[in-house]
Amino acid sequence: MSITYLEAIREAQAHALRDDPRVFIYGQDVGAFGGAFKATKNLQKEFPGRVLDAPISEDAMIGLAVGTAIEGMRPIIEMQFADFSTVAFNQIVNQASTLFWRTNVPCPITVRLPFGGTSGSGPFHSQCLEAIYAHYPGLVVLTPATVEDAYSMLLAAVAIDDPVIFCEHKFLYYHLKAEKLPSEALPIGKARIAREGRDLTIVTYSAMVHEALAAADELATEGWQVEVVDLRSIKPLDTDTVVASVARTGRLLCVGEAWPWGGVTAEVIARVSAESYGLLDAPPQRLNAKDTPVPYHPNLWAAHRPTARSVAAAARILIRF
Amino acid sequence: MPQISIIMPQLGESIAEAAIINFLVKPGDHVEGGQDLIEVETNKATMTVTAPCGGRIESFCAVLNESYAVGDVLGKIEATKEEAARFGLDLPTPAKSCDTDTEVISKKSRNATGSRVEPTVRGLPVPANASGASYMSPRLKARMHELGLSAADLAGIAGSGAAGRVTVEDFEKFMAHLDKQKLTRASSMRVAVADAMRRSWTRPLATVGLPVQLDPVLAHRKTCEPKPGPALYALRALAVALAENSAVAGRLVGNNIVHPSAIDVGFAVEAEDGVLVPVLRGADKKPLKELVVRYNELVELARQRKLPADATGGSVATVTNFGTFGLIWATPIPLPEQTLVLGLGAGRKMPHWDEAKGQFVPVMEAYLTLSFDHRVLDGGAAGRLLLRISDLMRQPEKL
Repeated sequence: MSITYLEAIREAQAHALRDDPRVFIYGQDVGAFGGAFKATKNLQKEFPGRVLDAPISEDAMIGLAVGTAIEGMRPIIEMQFADFSTVAFNQIVNQASTLFWRTNVPCPITVRLPFGGTSGSGPFHSQCLEAIYAHYPGLVVLTPATVEDAYSMLLAAVAIDDPVIFCEHKFLYYHLKAEKLPSEALPIGKARIAREGRDLTIVTYSAMVHEALAAADELATEGWQVEVVDLRSIKPLDTDTVVASVARTGRLLCVGEAWPWGGVTAEVIARVSAESYGLLDAPPQRLNAKDTPVPYHPNLWAAHRPTARSVAAAARILIRF
Repeated sequence: MPQISIIMPQLGESIAEAAIINFLVKPGDHVEGGQDLIEVETNKATMTVTAPCGGRIESFCAVLNESYAVGDVLGKIEATKEEAARFGLDLPTPAKSCDTDTEVISKKSRNATGSRVEPTVRGLPVPANASGASYMSPRLKARMHELGLSAADLAGIAGSGAAGRVTVEDFEKFMAHLDKQKLTRASSMRVAVADAMRRSWTRPLATVGLPVQLDPVLAHRKTCEPKPGPALYALRALAVALAENSAVAGRLVGNNIVHPSAIDVGFAVEAEDGVLVPVLRGADKKPLKELVVRYNELVELARQRKLPADATGGSVATVTNFGTFGLIWATPIPLPEQTLVLGLGAGRKMPHWDEAKGQFVPVMEAYLTLSFDHRVLDGGAAGRLLLRISDLMRQPEKL
């Protein structure tokens, strides 16, 4: 049997619905239609009354979720695209994130954001918004890069008492396959060493983990051993694992598909520079998407985002510094 | 068939790159493992790059007369699986690492890292990798701090990083190499001298010299009891000269000259594995015959390494008598907190033209040297000070 990243997300939701009667799913067309990407396929049939279609108002969806959370429910909200979550921005960053801090009432909602670029998706269906949500205290922001993490981290997200922004990468939905679902997982907030090396540390997350691993393969043929750290969770950020890796390699390249300005890559570099300046044998570098809206044309899109090739080129410069 | 990279080998311990001067085979040629393929030139010698295994030369991506770092890919050999395995090279090969695109990337990265320094002034070639340890990364500094090393200790390492900087890998290789050699522990005195010299050397230092006739001094010392040495005459003469104009012994700190508050003059005494500098306080205020007792006392205490705290430090200049080692001329380095060091060479019988007698007469002559911080004074001021000292030494009875 093999299972895709998308199927793992469906299985995790089924598992959560089965395990906990407080869990319900709310989103546009998640019911009979099974969701824009079929992440909730057949769940309405399996769990009648607990998989509910929402109006085309993201603002109202999160407002409802916060209200039910106050009443003790644990909703999973599906945004059709991460880009549209900005319509619900007020509810997420002003209401959900502050609720516990204002009232001592927890807000255990999970907001699923299908995010990131795929060929031809263009400016409104490709955005990576993890950094703006990570900016707000009170939110947990998760970015699974593997089928196993997509499953186990979504289960963890539902169990967490804080509002969780669950960033699932659309590029990985169908491409990424695993043999079976995991029975155990690293805790939330712990990064994973995706590949060991001694010459350079690449810190990345989500789909870029796979570009970094491909770049590491290419560099290995040139004699360089590149370590790849998969952050898994953007917030909390596992600085210890990153610093320990830089201690081994002395060189840091951060790769993110999001825009560079005020991004996760900048945050990682700031932390490493401030906390472990003496470990750096070269200036830490970052590689992000270009600072423009995401282009439609497949060729432009490929040039816009970091790829294995551009990651390897940036890594070579850093290794030879 | 697997394509095996031809790699720039490690050609010597301190060699980071080499230039291609001749291709000995052409793409398409069949070669044996170990056969010479490319002649390269390092800053030390001409050497060859050999074939990693037998096969057909697929291509060269290296360009004639260009320099490549150790580890760079120079070309490809197409070899049979069996041949590659025989040389232990049966690893996955890069999909396309010799095509034009990669070449552009590697060229670009070479430029970006600046591993070659192009001369900007015609006729004045700037040697590549000359900057050595000029840039030290935070990690390198932290590692050196951990091991108690300083920048001067890195001078022997040829850097392989951008602009020839020493990377942590270069550094660790160097340290591992040291472990294979005989190591003895430097005495704390040696380390202290090294530290003072290193700090002193951060300034632009210069030296001027002048021969001085010692006969008047030697005649005068015979009349004294205890007998002062020639170095003490020089010390007293320096103190008197500085009392007349202390600005030349001032220190430059920012935009200010810090003038000495008292003419306390130190003198170098060789002690076991180092040099101590006891100080004669107020050397401009006491005549020679008063100074000589204290001088002899301090020399003895220094040799026993029992100098009291008030007899060291805080001096404005130092006198060193390198003539005791038989040396005629030297360029001593002033202490880091001082601007001047006066040196006295060995006395020698020299012919001197005597105008009155119309013939050469033998005189005892020694060189006086003055090393100084060129930021504070120039050759003219240093020369005038030295002339004044030599004048004073001609009239020892006034000292």
